[in-house]
Amino acid sequence: MPSADVSRAAPAGAALAFLLIALLSGCATTAYWPDTAQIDQAPVHQLDNVPFYPQEKYQCGPASLAMMLNTQGAGVTPDDLVGQVYLPERHGSLQVEMVAAARQHGMLVYPLQPRLADILQEIDAGHPVLVLQNLRFGWWPQWHFAVVIGYDTQADEMILHSGTEKAYHEPLTAFMATWDRADNWARVMLPPRELPATAQPLDYLVSANDLETTGQLDAARQAYRTALATWSDQPAALLGLGNIAYRQENWDEAASQYRRLTTEFPRISAGWNNLGEALAKKGCGEAASRAHDCARRLKPERYDEGADAAVEGTSPADCPVVDCPIQ
Amino acid sequence: MHTIRQYNRPIATLMSVVMLLFTLAAAPASASVVGTGELLTQQRADIDREDLTRMLARDDVKQALSDMGVSEQEVRDRIQSLTPSELASFKQQLADAPTGEGVVGIIVLFLVIFIITDMLCATDIFPFINCIR
Repeated sequence: MPSADVSRAAPAGAALAFLLIALLSGCATTAYWPDTAQIDQAPVHQLDNVPFYPQEKYQCGPASLAMMLNTQGAGVTPDDLVGQVYLPERHGSLQVEMVAAARQHGMLVYPLQPRLADILQEIDAGHPVLVLQNLRFGWWPQWHFAVVIGYDTQADEMILHSGTEKAYHEPLTAFMATWDRADNWARVMLPPRELPATAQPLDYLVSANDLETTGQLDAARQAYRTALATWSDQPAALLGLGNIAYRQENWDEAASQYRRLTTEFPRISAGWNNLGEALAKKGCGEAASRAHDCARRLKPERYDEGADAAVEGTSPADCPVVDCPIQ
Repeated sequence: MHTIRQYNRPIATLMSVVMLLFTLAAAPASASVVGTGELLTQQRADIDREDLTRMLARDDVKQALSDMGVSEQEVRDRIQSLTPSELASFKQQLADAPTGEGVVGIIVLFLVIFIITDMLCATDIFPFINCIR
């Protein structure tokens, strides 16, 4: 039975082939450029205004952050940032600390959607992108921060300031694999007068609000103004401007921002409620209680009856007339 | 820095406690002014709710729901009573799903899980459903 040998050898061969295919396909997941990539006569898009700092041992966090901040002229060194973002016992930096430190330097931190196309779009707009990569495997990770400064669609490479390598050319497939394993974490850090190329209204306003809640009020105000100039249909930008003025006890300014909010977006109850608060602080008792009434009419479950602060004395002359459009 | 990830959970827990304390401490100071974040959360929820409602218009979703004996109007009412965080978790599941037929499954499963757990009184999201027990 000469065929017996063949049939016995076949399963082993098939198993070996299967194993090889499985192993090879594991590293052969090819990545492609998105359709939106500008594949044109000049395939290399590279930013030349991003300074490079080679990282010290383990300190890719402070080095990458310094590159991001100094592109915007922050004038920091990686050493300045070590205390803010480096955990010696962990040999590393946390994403949340990197983001918080950037805010402390007055930058708006905008999270990109987990898409390669968005990174490319930011590069085209001249914005370097901070990315997190996992250089090893999901079960044995090696986290690494790097700054994307360009891409080459002809050579299929991403260009990064990474570790000790300046303008390192990384094959697109390798970049995508390591970036995917880090949940596609990517951020741009910009002065609040500039808009990220991929900015979406609500996401941008949430980033602006993060500046407001962390006490970076000047930067937050600028970011809300940028939002207002870009999208006229976003009530949160006006509410934010009013809330910052209120927090700084600038009642006139707060009242005027809330007034604009209630005029342009009369169905947003927060505008009426906050207008009532600002007017009460100004001493405009009657106008304040009319505004509060209006907020309650719009959203009775949110605002308590009779919670308005009592206003003493006579009203100043510049109290507005508040007319509630909701009956 | 390979061990950073394993600290995600404890740090998240610690941060939620810290944030809760801050909220409690900060609330009386200007409880009366509505914060910008509150409006943003609301607006995000409104958008998510619209997206979810729009998905009900898909024929395959309609079919799947009617096969289970759930009327479209009932589901509409239920979507209205979902909280912002429930809507966000739904959106996350949808984003993680591969495109194609799986999407209908997630939409239906999500709605039905909330309805069924509520009927078993495991959660208390929909007050108009009578508990089995």
